[in-house]
Amino acid sequence: MKTLEEIENLSLEELEMKAAENAAPVPDGLERRLRQALAARELADAARPRPARWIPYASLAVAAAAAALVVLPQRGPKDTFDDPLLAYAEVEKAFQTISDKMSVGTDILRDAEQTAGMPYNTLNKIQK
Amino acid sequence: MKHIIVFFAALLLGITASAQSGKNIYQKYSDAENVSAVYVSPAMFRMIGQIPDLEVGADNVNLSSVIRTLSGLYILNSENASINSALRADAERFVNSSRYELLMEAKDSGQTVRMYTVGNDKTIEGFVMISVDDGEVTFICLDGQMPRKDFEELVAKEMSK
Repeated sequence: MKTLEEIENLSLEELEMKAAENAAPVPDGLERRLRQALAARELADAARPRPARWIPYASLAVAAAAAALVVLPQRGPKDTFDDPLLAYAEVEKAFQTISDKMSVGTDILRDAEQTAGMPYNTLNKIQK
Repeated sequence: MKHIIVFFAALLLGITASAQSGKNIYQKYSDAENVSAVYVSPAMFRMIGQIPDLEVGADNVNLSSVIRTLSGLYILNSENASINSALRADAERFVNSSRYELLMEAKDSGQTVRMYTVGNDKTIEGFVMISVDDGEVTFICLDGQMPRKDFEELVAKEMSK
């Protein structure tokens, strides 16, 4: 058994020789098993979802877009008419269009009322 | 991090939903071919309201009480077959995503007319009409604070003309 002082005095080559003399036997297939374990680890790492780096940037972009929508003045469409009388005429026309379209529904309703009233009228005539 | 993502997604959805309006639909389609578009701004409605003899015209139909409460009018009339379905879908998405209630629906000979209002018993804050006819889609959107009674009377009078 060498003392600590003797070991410290050994050169690097001597230390390597001593280590090679007392080398422990390598179990069979150790290298293959190590390779397999490393490969499996790499596969598992690849399959694991990683926190995406773009998420903070995307969040910032969304926040900026939201702020822009809220803060920046919204550009509205341009008025079709410069003259209020022409605009008034168009508004009146719009109400006329609404009424015309509404009358489609009321006409159907009127027809339905007439149809529904036919049996009643017939019964009345028979009774008379 | 998940909470942040959910928060921003909700924020974005909220902004998108609120962004859907008559104005957006108007801006999207008003420049398309075979689309006639009319926009009357709140400022123009204020000017119309200042016309002194407004009550005189329109064959005894008094528009003034309603017009003075309006703040925006968007009209789109599309005869462009390539955008008609998209315009109709956008308009329906708009009324469905807002608090609009169906006022009337009529279907006759291939024509479908739907009218929606938003507001309460006394006031109409918005009116939308979507009319789909053969190759033609009409979208009318009125914004304002219209007294419901006045609006209904006006439409009834126009119908009797």
